[in-house]
Amino acid sequence: MNSADPDLFELGVLARLSRVNAGYDAGDTVLEGADFEIRSGEVAFVTGPTSAGKTTFMHVLRLALPPRSGTATILGADVGGLNGRGRARLKRRIGYVAENPVFVEEWSGTANIALALRMAGRKSKDYAEDVRELIEFVGLGIAADEPVRQLSGAARRRVAIARALVTKPDMILADDPTAGLSPEAGRRVIRLLAEMRRVGAGVVITSQDESLADCAPGGRWRLERGRLSPLDHVAPENAEAFR
Amino acid sequence: MRRSADADRALFWTLAIAAFAAAAVGLASRAVDRGAAGFEQDQASYAIVRVIAPEGPEAVSAAEAALNGAPHVARAEPISPRRAADLLAEWGGSPVAEEDVPPLRLIEIELEPAPPQVDVAGDVVAALARGGVTAEVVQAPAYAGAGGMAARVRFGALWGAIAFAVVAALIVSLAARGFASRRRELVQVLADIGATRGQAAGRVADEAARTGLVAGLTGSAIAGVAGVILILLFVPGASFETLPTMILPADTVPLAGAPLLAAVAAAMGARAGAESFYAEAARLA
Repeated sequence: MNSADPDLFELGVLARLSRVNAGYDAGDTVLEGADFEIRSGEVAFVTGPTSAGKTTFMHVLRLALPPRSGTATILGADVGGLNGRGRARLKRRIGYVAENPVFVEEWSGTANIALALRMAGRKSKDYAEDVRELIEFVGLGIAADEPVRQLSGAARRRVAIARALVTKPDMILADDPTAGLSPEAGRRVIRLLAEMRRVGAGVVITSQDESLADCAPGGRWRLERGRLSPLDHVAPENAEAFR
Repeated sequence: MRRSADADRALFWTLAIAAFAAAAVGLASRAVDRGAAGFEQDQASYAIVRVIAPEGPEAVSAAEAALNGAPHVARAEPISPRRAADLLAEWGGSPVAEEDVPPLRLIEIELEPAPPQVDVAGDVVAALARGGVTAEVVQAPAYAGAGGMAARVRFGALWGAIAFAVVAALIVSLAARGFASRRRELVQVLADIGATRGQAAGRVADEAARTGLVAGLTGSAIAGVAGVILILLFVPGASFETLPTMILPADTVPLAGAPLLAAVAAAMGARAGAESFYAEAARLA
């Protein structure tokens, strides 16, 4: 594998996978020969059926699953050469919305959203206004003050999105973020995530619902039986989010 | 959620009971230590003088007079037939009649504390000789001295308390791993947002340490109150007024140590658990 390539990051490439194979423990290879690239300010929409390898693909991008072979360069660093501390440092620059987000259930949505800022050593009076604005941006409203365990599926999804965005990450990964939501709520979520390209973030979204790809401008990809292939590109002027 | 709160409460009392047990055993160890030390001191401060010459009952009176002015001797008193009968009954286990005891030429003496290098018996015999009495000093048997039974009892009490504290710490540590498992979601969230293993495990360990400290203080306080009640009930002459002079600073070591032990053991157990959960969450293969 290549060593770290910060130049790639300087050129705007947030993540590049070259012939990446990935799988779990001694099990079968789930992701086979994946070639992929996402740049700053881009949206990549990856669709595929259940068990196609979408979550595995996301795990590689979010540094939770090291490739078995091939090269993965994430935010300028070769994933194969990272130690635990280096991996954690890079993760702070990645916002991740899991398919089934995990929260500290007894905490409020606000506390869950602000956790990353607290871990970074910021004081609550310094970030309270930013968090409040973010809560309004994702449309969570006063529900943010409720313990997460009391929130609906849609509200939990919004908390997960706000948590992923709160540190202003370079790259946002959303793994099937519309699962369990109504079609209209799903489209709102996709539009919300796609908005982040405007502040220079790269956004990768996976979904089973191909129709949602129309909501976001950028590259479309298809993942089937572990094989990732590019489809086409939705220009910003044609994307629903920007019409 | 309710179940988690119940589990946290159960953990708190598990830690409190472990701390109580460790503190109580520590206090018991201190009681045994002080009892054995007192016994050792009593034995070292007691001896019997056997008058050899001259003959006759005047020699015992002369010896008593000489002993009352001798170095190291706090008190000297000839053994009366009544006292001899009591002692023989105590040692032999069966009653002894006063009239069956032959005339004795023995004097009990109470000695003042002296450094180990001082030849107390030699000084006493010399003082008696200056008084015109030839005598020998029969000191406490060897088993009562340093390295004897009392020392072994003290040693056993100390190491018994330490061993119990180690077992209590292990119990606390294992219980704290359960605490970490109930913070698993927090560890996973921290791993996802880029906390290092040390940050994630440290956060859980800090919370466990706080719980351990409060539980340890609770257990220690209960043990302390129980100890005071037992002293007031069973130690002759003990009262609230005499307690401050009866309790030595060293006696409070178990009470101060148990909360610290509970906090450290809880933190270590929770940290180990959290580190293992972090490893699972941060790297899936």
